[in-house]
Amino acid sequence: MLVNRQVAIIGGGPAGLTAAIEAAKVGAQVLIIDENARPGGQLFKQIHKFFGSKAHNAGVRGMDIGLNLLKETEESGAETWLNSTVIGLYEGNRLSVVRTMEDGSKKIHTVQAEKILIATGSQENTINFDGWTIPGVMGAGCAQTMINVNRVMPGTKALMVGSGNVGLMVSYQMLQAGIDVLGVVEAAPKISGYNVHAAKICRAGVPFYLRHTIIHAEADESGTLCRATIAALDEKWNPSPNTEQSFDVNLVCIAAGLRPLAKLAQMYGVEHGFIPELGGWMPLHDENMETNIQGIYVAGDTAGVEEANTAMDEGRLAGISIAQSLQLLPDQEAEQCKAEIRARLESLRLGPFGERRLQAKNRIVKKEVQL
Amino acid sequence: MKGTILENGYPSIEELKNAHRFPSEERFQKGPVAVIECLQPIPCNPCENACRFGAILVGEPIINLPELQEEKCTGCGMCVASCSGLAIFIVDKTYSATEATISFPYEYLPLPVKGQAIKAVNRAGEVVCDGTVTRVMNVKQNDHTPVVTIAIPKEFSDDVRSMQRLNVAPAEKDHECCADYTYDPADPDDLIVCRCEEVTVGDIRKAIAEGADTITGVKRRTRAGMGLCQGRTCSKTVSKMIADAKHLSGDKIPLDTARPPVKPVPFSVLAGDEDI
Ligand code: SF4
Ligand code: SF4
Repeated sequence: MLVNRQVAIIGGGPAGLTAAIEAAKVGAQVLIIDENARPGGQLFKQIHKFFGSKAHNAGVRGMDIGLNLLKETEESGAETWLNSTVIGLYEGNRLSVVRTMEDGSKKIHTVQAEKILIATGSQENTINFDGWTIPGVMGAGCAQTMINVNRVMPGTKALMVGSGNVGLMVSYQMLQAGIDVLGVVEAAPKISGYNVHAAKICRAGVPFYLRHTIIHAEADESGTLCRATIAALDEKWNPSPNTEQSFDVNLVCIAAGLRPLAKLAQMYGVEHGFIPELGGWMPLHDENMETNIQGIYVAGDTAGVEEANTAMDEGRLAGISIAQSLQLLPDQEAEQCKAEIRARLESLRLGPFGERRLQAKNRIVKKEVQL
Repeated sequence: MKGTILENGYPSIEELKNAHRFPSEERFQKGPVAVIECLQPIPCNPCENACRFGAILVGEPIINLPELQEEKCTGCGMCVASCSGLAIFIVDKTYSATEATISFPYEYLPLPVKGQAIKAVNRAGEVVCDGTVTRVMNVKQNDHTPVVTIAIPKEFSDDVRSMQRLNVAPAEKDHECCADYTYDPADPDDLIVCRCEEVTVGDIRKAIAEGADTITGVKRRTRAGMGLCQGRTCSKTVSKMIADAKHLSGDKIPLDTARPPVKPVPFSVLAGDEDI
């Protein structure tokens, strides 16, 4: 079946939903396609209060921001297909979608849209060490989903690898769930996430192992994880012999960063650049979040890994740009809204934690990225 | 105490004082006051809006450190639960002749109850003294961030910042099924890289030695990245192995080709639509 819509949004996470709201509320005919049973992306596992300013809902828990976005999406009139996966993007802005119908059957539908936003988020990086495939070794985001969304305990004693904000926050949320966190392992000589996050788990007695890495995981007779070993790193970042420390854990979480998920953009020939600050290879975009291919937009982690607040603002920026190019918003009004959002985005990227991302984003919109 | 905030994970009193983030002793002697232990320029300001006495200043840009106007602070505690970083504490050094109280955010279950004896901990989570719970504030406005107040001997009031959690599981007996692991610098060839297709480090090393210098080249020779997850798990590891072996930076290793379907689809679904 061929379905025509003005705007198709792939991925109903923070970026996709805010874009849908902005475009639909001025009258665009918007279809959101999401592969999960419920939209909201990663917001519903963010049970902590968000940072940012009042305009960013600072102080509100991520899951509550998610609920508000779902309500706004519904009110905006945007249509949503859930449990539906986009498997390809072809010439003529055609998407091929495996759609789950009301009776649960799956059908292939082709969606053709004037404007397409790819907001498929990011994926977790793995670390390749001896035993990394043993059940019980998993991504930190995966453990977070199990605990906060599925309400399943992934283990009882855990080791966290990686001290970025994801590693720190998931460690804290594991403690809240009653999991004993035996330590946070970090290869760098300093903790890389926000100190306020680190301080929370310090008060709970969790030690940090800086300049260490995980080298080994071991399974018991049943095949599940029972022990993990870390070692100190030498000046060449290799494990030093005789520095091994073992922990009896049944959960190892890997928080080794994320990388943009942009296969659909790549398939359509969208220009990519390698931006280490934003997760490596990513589709490039202009100041309206539009790619080099007219009508194809990217936002959120797909357009460089950051966090939910920036994803929501990039989504808004894309939604307004789309509405403007469909002539649903007068230029002057659109430009003013976009200027406000860009200023907010810039403020989120200030300071030592954001400045490299800010510079990278500036290079991208000024087209200074080497291809 | 050794190390800095970046190594320890929490600020030392010296670091707080040097950054002018610790109320003066005169102010402490006048009654309860907020201690804001937020020392990094992060984009955040809910504390500023939470104080209706205007005692917390962030201003523009938003990454400014929150600054306490100690003479304006009444120690009311409204800011504690509103801080997204759980970094604000109320310290009352005038509670009694021998005791001080500390109020802190406490997002763990079970919650303590008034009168309960607890172990007070410092910023590093070490038990420093016994304490008694004097108050547990968990009104709707707190949005599930209860604020617990404990009374402790006065001399620990600069150090105590929380209490030992009540949900700590009793220590399990360490198991004996596996021996301690000794590191072997020669990493084994049989380590799996692509778990879908069971491709090992050895297979990939061989492919690289044969001349593969892209993810696609490795994929052609080994099937790494051709399984169920379509390289979502292993592509980064493979590109790192190529980069290390060939002394290339990440930007010199192109992405592998993107082909539909980006997610595996059963043939029955693909064959099911007459209209395509
Ligand atoms: S304790 Fe009360 S008066 Fe003092 S800073 Fe906090 S909210 Fe303001
Ligand atoms: S709300 Fe907390 S974490 Fe945010 S700026 Fe204020 S004190 Fe710092």
